[in-house]
Amino acid sequence: DLDQTPIDPDLFTEVDVYKNAQEAKGALAKLYAGLALTGQQGPAGQADISGVDEGFSQFSRMLFNLNELTTDHAVVGWGDPGLPNLHAMNWGAGNDFTTAMYFRLSQVVSFSNSFISNAAVLSDDAEVAAYIAEARFIRAYAYYNLMDLFANVPLVTEITTALPEQSNREEIFAFIESELQGIESDLKSPGSNEYGRVDQAAAWALLSRLYLNAEEFVGQNRYADVITNADKVINSSYSINTNDGNGNGSAYDELFLADNDTNGAQNEFLFVLTFDGINQQTFGGTTFLTHAPLGGDMDPVLFGVNGGWSGYRTTKGFVDQFDYAVTERDGNNHPVAWNDARAQFFTEGQNYEIETIANTFEDGYALAKFKNVDINGQQGSDTSGDFADIDLPLIRLAEVYLNYAEAVARGAGGDMAKATSLVNELRTRAGAPTITSADIDPDFVLAERSRELHWEGLRRTDLIRFNLFTTGSYLWPFKGGAQNGRAVESFRKIFPLPENVLLINTNLTQNEGY
Amino acid sequence: TVTDSGSGEPLPGVSIVIKGTTTGTTTDFDGNYSINAQNGDILQFSYIAFKTKEIRVTGSELNVTLQEDTEQLDEVVVIGYGSVRKEDLTGAVNLVTSKDFNKGQVSSPQQLIQGKVAGVSIVNGGGAPGEGSNFLVRGIGSLNLNSNPLFVVDGVPLNDGGVGGSRNPLNLINPNDIEAISVLKDASATSIYGSRAANGVVLITTKKGKAGEFSFNLRTNTSVFEPVNQVDVLNPAQFRKLVRDTGNQDFIDRLGSASTDWQDLIYRTAFGSDHSLSAVGAAFGVPLRASLGYSDQDGILSGDNFNRVTASVNLTPRLLDDHLKFEINARVARTENTFADRGAIGSAVSFDPTKPVYDQNSPFYAFTDENGTDFGYYTWLNAAGTNQLNLAPTNPVAILDLIDDQATVDRFVGNLKADYQLHWVPGLTATVNGGYDLSKSEGGKIIPNNFPTAATGYDGRTEQYTQEAKNYLFDAYLNYKKEFGDHNLDVTGGYSYQRFEFDNFSNNVERILNADGSLNDEASLNETFIDKSRNVLLSYFGRLNYDFDGRYLLTATLRADASSKLNPDDRWGYFPSAALAWNIHNEDFLAEGPFDQLKLRVGYGEVGNVNGLGDYNFLTRYVISTPSAQYQFGDSFYRTYRPEPINEDLRWEVGNTLNAGIDFAVLESRISGSVNAYIKTTEDLIATTVVDPFTNFGNTISANIGDMENRGVEVELNLVPVRTQDLEWSINYNISVNDNEITRLPDTQEVGGISGGVGNTIQRHQVGAAPFSYYVYKQIYDANGKPIEGAYADLNDDGQINSEDRYLYKNPYADVLMGLSTNLTYKNWDFSAVSRASIGNYNYNNVASTTALNGVFSNDILRNIPADYLRTEFQQFTETNLLSDYFIENASFFRLDNITLGYTLAEGFFGNPLRFYASGQNLLVVTNYNGLDPEITGGIDNNFYPRPRVLTIGLDINF
Repeated sequence: DLDQTPIDPDLFTEVDVYKNAQEAKGALAKLYAGLALTGQQGPAGQADISGVDEGFSQFSRMLFNLNELTTDHAVVGWGDPGLPNLHAMNWGAGNDFTTAMYFRLSQVVSFSNSFISNAAVLSDDAEVAAYIAEARFIRAYAYYNLMDLFANVPLVTEITTALPEQSNREEIFAFIESELQGIESDLKSPGSNEYGRVDQAAAWALLSRLYLNAEEFVGQNRYADVITNADKVINSSYSINTNDGNGNGSAYDELFLADNDTNGAQNEFLFVLTFDGINQQTFGGTTFLTHAPLGGDMDPVLFGVNGGWSGYRTTKGFVDQFDYAVTERDGNNHPVAWNDARAQFFTEGQNYEIETIANTFEDGYALAKFKNVDINGQQGSDTSGDFADIDLPLIRLAEVYLNYAEAVARGAGGDMAKATSLVNELRTRAGAPTITSADIDPDFVLAERSRELHWEGLRRTDLIRFNLFTTGSYLWPFKGGAQNGRAVESFRKIFPLPENVLLINTNLTQNEGY
Repeated sequence: TVTDSGSGEPLPGVSIVIKGTTTGTTTDFDGNYSINAQNGDILQFSYIAFKTKEIRVTGSELNVTLQEDTEQLDEVVVIGYGSVRKEDLTGAVNLVTSKDFNKGQVSSPQQLIQGKVAGVSIVNGGGAPGEGSNFLVRGIGSLNLNSNPLFVVDGVPLNDGGVGGSRNPLNLINPNDIEAISVLKDASATSIYGSRAANGVVLITTKKGKAGEFSFNLRTNTSVFEPVNQVDVLNPAQFRKLVRDTGNQDFIDRLGSASTDWQDLIYRTAFGSDHSLSAVGAAFGVPLRASLGYSDQDGILSGDNFNRVTASVNLTPRLLDDHLKFEINARVARTENTFADRGAIGSAVSFDPTKPVYDQNSPFYAFTDENGTDFGYYTWLNAAGTNQLNLAPTNPVAILDLIDDQATVDRFVGNLKADYQLHWVPGLTATVNGGYDLSKSEGGKIIPNNFPTAATGYDGRTEQYTQEAKNYLFDAYLNYKKEFGDHNLDVTGGYSYQRFEFDNFSNNVERILNADGSLNDEASLNETFIDKSRNVLLSYFGRLNYDFDGRYLLTATLRADASSKLNPDDRWGYFPSAALAWNIHNEDFLAEGPFDQLKLRVGYGEVGNVNGLGDYNFLTRYVISTPSAQYQFGDSFYRTYRPEPINEDLRWEVGNTLNAGIDFAVLESRISGSVNAYIKTTEDLIATTVVDPFTNFGNTISANIGDMENRGVEVELNLVPVRTQDLEWSINYNISVNDNEITRLPDTQEVGGISGGVGNTIQRHQVGAAPFSYYVYKQIYDANGKPIEGAYADLNDDGQINSEDRYLYKNPYADVLMGLSTNLTYKNWDFSAVSRASIGNYNYNNVASTTALNGVFSNDILRNIPADYLRTEFQQFTETNLLSDYFIENASFFRLDNITLGYTLAEGFFGNPLRFYASGQNLLVVTNYNGLDPEITGGIDNNFYPRPRVLTIGLDINF
């Protein structure tokens, strides 16, 4: 009688979950959901990660905080412990957000390891073989972020309770590369999988991103490999969305609307996190990206939600990336209108300059990128206006275009004319003037990436690749905590390993500088 | 002749035995007796409720006076799986019997002994009717597990926790049914209960049937509950001035023209009454006690109500020449709770006092006036005037009016116990006891569609739940008592099986209505949660009591427990104890001394703890996600499976207590008391701890990680300064000192969530400090002692103020607790008073800490702030202000809990006694604490339900 087993209908054993392909799909869904949601109950409850506010612990929200808030792209007025330190670039080893991100990513690795080993019993089923390849992709994606953010993390590929040894970027880089190459034959061909699940194109796209940063990560010039892999994606069935469903003159904003899983935007998404206001609720994801930057004079109705959280704005550093497109300036000679659909600034009642970050919303232009309305302006499925339907692309085709263009601009071969036309395809969609080959150099591509991909979680890595993240070569308001910006220590290119994990696993050595 | 020392009346029926023999007799109706005895023999005179006296025979006539045993040294104290005479106790055990219980308006059993037992802290959760209490014996014993003691009612250990919808798990017992409460404090006393006794054991013995004619007792009282104080906020005039002086025109334009005291509107004077009827007697030769109770009490928060019906029956039939004794107990209680939503408390503090309660423009309908005009609840509206503004506080009156939250809780506890004294082995008794404890609740909450929210098209919400907790008990044990000359042996050994089952169901519906107002089932978001678990505890236990000549006492116990919550390898825990006592007053050299009692005790014991630990933590298990946390593939949503964090190595948390004590009584027991000193170490504390996340499925697991130590001293004194035929005055005083420290913990733990910001915590567990110590910034003050906003000490001298500058400062638990009570009876009058003091407990004033000027102006909404602002004048609400040590306040207090005055008419009711009384509770609090009430469980003071002052009049009738 002492051997009690679960009687709860919501609790299952390994045997139940890996009984057949259909049940195992629920375990596969958790690997994706580990990046999109925060626990087993929506919008919060039964959290995956403890010790942090559950809404904060959602992957893409943390990715935003670590990769966008730390840059010229965003500031936040909230004072939650550890949050103001991100833009001020003075985070410590106990920072709540860096710690929670480490937990989130390593947990996704653990979930994936468990899935890969348990699903092996069903791998004769071709569908399950694809599941396993997708699980390996997700693990590789988690490791890509671990390597990018924390560098020296353990490389663990099986479930074990033994305290792992520390690895370095070389080992993890090699692992990600071999995994993404190794799963190619098991992943479905481009466009042949269900929406929401990755296929071969996602693996190629992630490889192109990996190689683009190879100099920073492992000191190797791999730009030629960027071109090879980007080409595979560009030649696949994916395409840039040109469907201007709401007829506002550009097909760019459709990428971030509530119906972006059906309005044509989905053709551009190589790896997407799905969200739904009813069935897939979280306080992170696009619910966060819609509410958090909403405040001041912005009308919540236009954003398909019931109100804003008055938190995030942007700096003039980002606004100035659009200097060429300014069509109108206010009395202070600050730009207020642009002929580039990607300059989605909300300026009314907002100040271009930032005097105060904390507890204000007015300082810094607001940004109107994510809207929980469909192409007809109808609010998403959650009638209460709390949770968004917008899906969030983690990798989309436009990034691959720009990976290609940058590699070409860096002299890795490829086709400059093709690079120019890819860039112009994006600019044309945005209604921005086209460019010529002569305009393309690495710095131009960096600025184009900022314009095209801002608030999608890439900025910090991009700035590091150009050595602008910590140095004095590029300053933005309140970089390093100084109003006019200042350089910070170069070790801040890598985040610290969590203090509390170091206490437990003495195999680990803290990253330099912390 | 044997006479009563008090009244001088002769005592009939006193039993007289020549010590060491079986020769004896009893006194006749006039108190006379005769017995054949030799000079030098010792005669033992004993009589129920009188002190036993031993006198050496020195002549042919021996007149004896017996003293009424107010101290009841011969009282039988119930201990685990048996009972002993108080004189034979070897552990730290307090017994409080019905005559010493707190009087007045008492709706839960804990209240009966509040302030009466040294080392026991009982803090009720607030002023709601029937509210539960946090009950701590000798301080906090665990970090994450349950720190409450084990409650045992007539031999049935109750479930650890309550069920949803219940305000207090002990509400099942009508306090009037309780005869005595024993508190077993040290491990030598508790370890017979093994793993469930880590935080002490509270044994509740209910009143039993007696042979004889039926007699009845009716107790009835009526109480009035008055709100005593409110959070001090800016009044409408102060608020207007502040907004005009400091706000921009946008905000000034938002001021209203009303003057509303929101707190006045949500609190009220409440009434309650309590009635109970009991009958004691023999039916068909079987002693029986039956009782019925009814209690109905409103809370001072408008709409709050607690209603309880209890019934109990106790039967004690005896068969086979009294060799076979049965005890049957059954009690049922139905509690109906109507919960006033406590969100109104915080909302009433922050709601703009210049706004009216009702407003014609509000879309949230409240009533139609006589002119046919519709009024709604005043609400901060969005620009379109359709919804509440995001982040705006909700009208507190609307909260109380509109949210309907009710629960019905049924509980049954019953047991059947049989003692069989074996005919063929004198002294051997076999006992079996079967018990069943069932709690069942059913409740729900309905929020209608006119409730002010920010949600667009809000159609309301319903929440329903049922919860069931079952506990099965089977005990079987043998007891053998034997005397060999001066050697007395009492051995018990047995087996116990307990099974605990929980079955919870809840269903939440975000309603979507059709055009005709009916519920659209398909569109409504419907979520169902089911939570079930079962665990088993299997035990063997044994106890040896040995005494030599009543002078030297030894108790040794051993319990072996196995819990299904732990992995098979670490499942069994062995918990031994041993205690020695020396009754010095029974030594010849003290025979003539002043001591009626002088006893030295020393004991050591171990107990385990897994109470409150989840089930199956050592198994790999997957939890499925709810319908609102699915994942979309293609056009379908999939519920996901998540592997849960596991710990295959969970072991018992083990507490070891060393206790030494002295009990004494002198001057015919007019001065008595005891002193105890203890050291309790808890090893392998189970707490949530961070793991390397690559090695598990989560970042934290429950694991055995730390050690903790409690040390303390307790003193109790009972004085009877006056005892005459007409007047008796007694005083009880107790004081306890407890010091609690974490002695091992690999990493610190942030605990104590507070309001303000998101996810902030104010307390920390850290080695070398008391658990739940506050972790704060050190505020810097100006020359006038006023805190300088944003100025904190740079404790690590790195030139910046950041989280590294926080330090540990004070904790919520008192260093010293005292209780002082007194009883005075003069002829037919009785008077009692009970008071308590707590010294060195600190609160975090979360009401004040979220107060800053910019809190008045944000998100287009005006909010009121507590008048604390006038002390600090803090401009900005920031995380560092929130975590300033300025808000850690000394909350030491003295509270006059209860004064009762009664008068008894000896032949008031057809020749039967009739007592009237009047009682006042929570009459006076003396404290320097700035918040509403210094006595806050856990120390974080926020939206506290104020404790009312209670005035009661009542009547007790016997017939």
